[in-house]
Amino acid sequence: MSDLIQYLFNGLVVGSIFAIAAVGISLLYSVLRLVNFAAGDFLTLGAFITYFLSVTMELNFFLAVFISMLAGMGISWFLELVLWRNLRRNKAGTLALFLVATGVALMLRPIIQYFFGTETRKFNIDILKTYEFFGARIAHTQLLVLIFASASIITIALFISKARIGKDMRAYANNPGLAAVSGINVDRVVLATWLISGALGSLAGVFLGLVQGQFNNAMGESLLLSFFAAVVLGTIGDAYGALVGGFLLGLFTELSQLSIFFGGVPSNYKPVVAFTVLVLVLLFKPEGIFGYRARKV
Amino acid sequence: MTKQPFTEKFASHMTSSDSKLLDIKDISVSFGGIKPVQNVSFSIKENTFTSVIGPNGAGKTTLFNLISGMNKTTSGEIIFRGEPIQAIHAHKIAQKGLIRTFQGAKIIRRLTVVENLMMAVQGNPGDNLIGFLKPKARKNFEKLARDEALRRLDQVGLSKFADEYAGILSGGQRKLLDLSRALMANPKLLLLDEPFAGVNPTLVEKLLTVLAELRKDQYLTFLLIEHDLETVMNISDRVIVMADGKIIADGLPNSIYENELVVDAYLGSRRKES
Amino acid sequence: MSAFLQPGFWVFVLALAGIYGIFALGLQIQYGVGGIMNFGHVGMMAVSGYTIAVLVIKYQWSFWWAALLGVTLAALLGALLGLTTLRLSGDYFAIASIAFAEITRYWILNTDSVTGGTQGTLAIPNPLGFGGYTDQPDRILYWISDRLYPVLGDEASRDMSMIFIVWPFLFLFIWLSSRLQQTSWARVLRATREDDDVARSLGKNVFRFRLQALVIGAVFGGIAGVFWALQFALLAPEDFLRIVTFYGWMILILAGATRVKGLLVAAIFFGFLYGATRFLEFWPLSLLSSPERAYLRVFLIGLVIVLLMIKRPQGLFGKREEMVLE
Repeated sequence: MSDLIQYLFNGLVVGSIFAIAAVGISLLYSVLRLVNFAAGDFLTLGAFITYFLSVTMELNFFLAVFISMLAGMGISWFLELVLWRNLRRNKAGTLALFLVATGVALMLRPIIQYFFGTETRKFNIDILKTYEFFGARIAHTQLLVLIFASASIITIALFISKARIGKDMRAYANNPGLAAVSGINVDRVVLATWLISGALGSLAGVFLGLVQGQFNNAMGESLLLSFFAAVVLGTIGDAYGALVGGFLLGLFTELSQLSIFFGGVPSNYKPVVAFTVLVLVLLFKPEGIFGYRARKV
Repeated sequence: MTKQPFTEKFASHMTSSDSKLLDIKDISVSFGGIKPVQNVSFSIKENTFTSVIGPNGAGKTTLFNLISGMNKTTSGEIIFRGEPIQAIHAHKIAQKGLIRTFQGAKIIRRLTVVENLMMAVQGNPGDNLIGFLKPKARKNFEKLARDEALRRLDQVGLSKFADEYAGILSGGQRKLLDLSRALMANPKLLLLDEPFAGVNPTLVEKLLTVLAELRKDQYLTFLLIEHDLETVMNISDRVIVMADGKIIADGLPNSIYENELVVDAYLGSRRKES
Repeated sequence: MSAFLQPGFWVFVLALAGIYGIFALGLQIQYGVGGIMNFGHVGMMAVSGYTIAVLVIKYQWSFWWAALLGVTLAALLGALLGLTTLRLSGDYFAIASIAFAEITRYWILNTDSVTGGTQGTLAIPNPLGFGGYTDQPDRILYWISDRLYPVLGDEASRDMSMIFIVWPFLFLFIWLSSRLQQTSWARVLRATREDDDVARSLGKNVFRFRLQALVIGAVFGGIAGVFWALQFALLAPEDFLRIVTFYGWMILILAGATRVKGLLVAAIFFGFLYGATRFLEFWPLSLLSSPERAYLRVFLIGLVIVLLMIKRPQGLFGKREEMVLE
């Protein structure tokens, strides 16, 4: 029983991080048809910038997080101006977008490594403090993450549904041609998409670093496929879906360790659970949990 | 104007025949709440020329998709040469001699004109990987296929483009290529989806002559979707009219003009469009 | 600067170029001919390499049979991938292919008792005590280097012998592949890249053709894995990370995806990039430590890929018109 509670809680925490990362990826795909292979590295970047500012430069942690979100936004926007805009203008095909996104990812990690070093890092937040909850051990950092991540998720969800630009983004994602001719400012939608995904990437990275306790350069990149799994599970093209998919995936991967599942999946196989979910969803229910195809699968 | 539905009047002529090349039995398809084709039944005798007409959205192309296996029916049967084909994969149906063309003449731009034709030849040993081990058989077949392809190109006046990428052809030329390609696939039944759209009238004349010859020499059967009523009336043995996914008339060309339902369908659709 | 003049450096470059040339050849058949975007190609290499290591070390199989089975298993993995996911559209297949490769790698990483886990093949439990699997082929390699010694002296190294084994195969496979691309089989695939429906309407089983292209490519991936395992004599899971597939893609794009002939040049370029970042000692490379050099390598490959896709997606030898049709 205490196992169940432990895994449930871990699943919610991890799930909230998946959710935040997945929303950014989902928005990029539905608005720009771009599969962001560099998404994982943006997480890493966010974590390392925050580390640098809060630990090395000893700035206030929240300020550091805020600045790293700005940095994520800035770099995303920079790449849009320098790279993606041109590719779209030249009607680059799927392969071109894939390879360039991968190329960006391949270049981003060494840059992070060059500026911030290759060692494993951790934040100046107490990672050892834990609480007891019905037999489960809950880390202080996990609780922090859950609270702030949930707050972020609610903010994002409200933003997408209520804010003018959020509605524009959804409209454009649904039907780009119609949106463009009905007066939606496409440039603004594209800008918003990049800024949001850049900010969320950094945020997710910080949360991930907190939850893991320590992190290195490979942090975000190793979870990339898991984020994709969350997006696909939550229905491709649906931002709310990505949020739900993230939580579900977090729960699936953590709960899979329960012994009722063939004796329990060993913890180092958790990513395999995510990958398997990805493949199974693509094979058997490509329209995801919300059951529609925004785009042809 | 007679009130008797022409499908019934015509039906007596049809059912007595037993050389039904294609027999469509009450097929329907629905997806997402739409029913593009509902309860369609008709059969086609060998060596006949049948046209399917109807307003836009009547379900004509969907009908072709169903017959050729590109879409699956949700109910009903399709019998081709005595064999039910509604559950068979599209490529197998084509291999059995049921060949279709597409609206807008889909040619493969990255292949040359002659390669487009050669691709249609059935039974190419080079299509199988085992064939990789038999270079001589492959080479012979390719030579025969190429000769045949060049002959057909000559027939439609496209010989000079033989080794050019098909993308350079004009709209009308693509139609010719499309038609020639379908003919090269050894068809028994040809489903032509608007083969004359956008083709200049002289060329249409020429094509019709070619088709008529083929019908005679190779005992081919044609099912055509066409919008140009004059062409339809001239060449068809029989006209089937569709509207809203159903057949509303089926009979001799002349009788269709006078059919109330048909006029209604066309006028009605025009009313919808305005 | 002296490193450049060291023949040993160039021998390494060529050996690596040979191996990755075969690897990229597999991708070329899958993408250049079949239009399939496979981003999990490294999985095939991992399967064949590890099959050899495990069977030879743990179960005392002969290297040759293990290699044969390894390539077969790589082909089967390709078949499994294709049968399950080829009907998905391009982007989703690409992602699924990554998932397959990663699942394979994770399994290798975590099944210590069979594969040695994170420590690699040296840690494979073996009854006889030695952790190597190259004994049998080494005899051939050293026989070759013995023959070369009178001519090449000290340069008659194992790497040099590898070149004499891998490159003939590379040439053979390039020749076979270019013959294959002239068949009607390849023609159908070229057509399906543009329009599935037309091919189907002419009686072609599009799925079958694509699956065949995928499996043939997987076979080449498996063969590359055999040579890779042979070259480095020990394997570890981090040798088969996602990025390795992109080494192949870089070579493929640089060569010109639809052409075979550019592969040699592109593979050598890659080999040079790899070797230079690993071995050369002059400034500014001398400032970097070994893991940092690995990062530099990754950075350069990423840079080349991005530049190619922006500036010259048809690569060195490809045709612009064919790229535009994507």
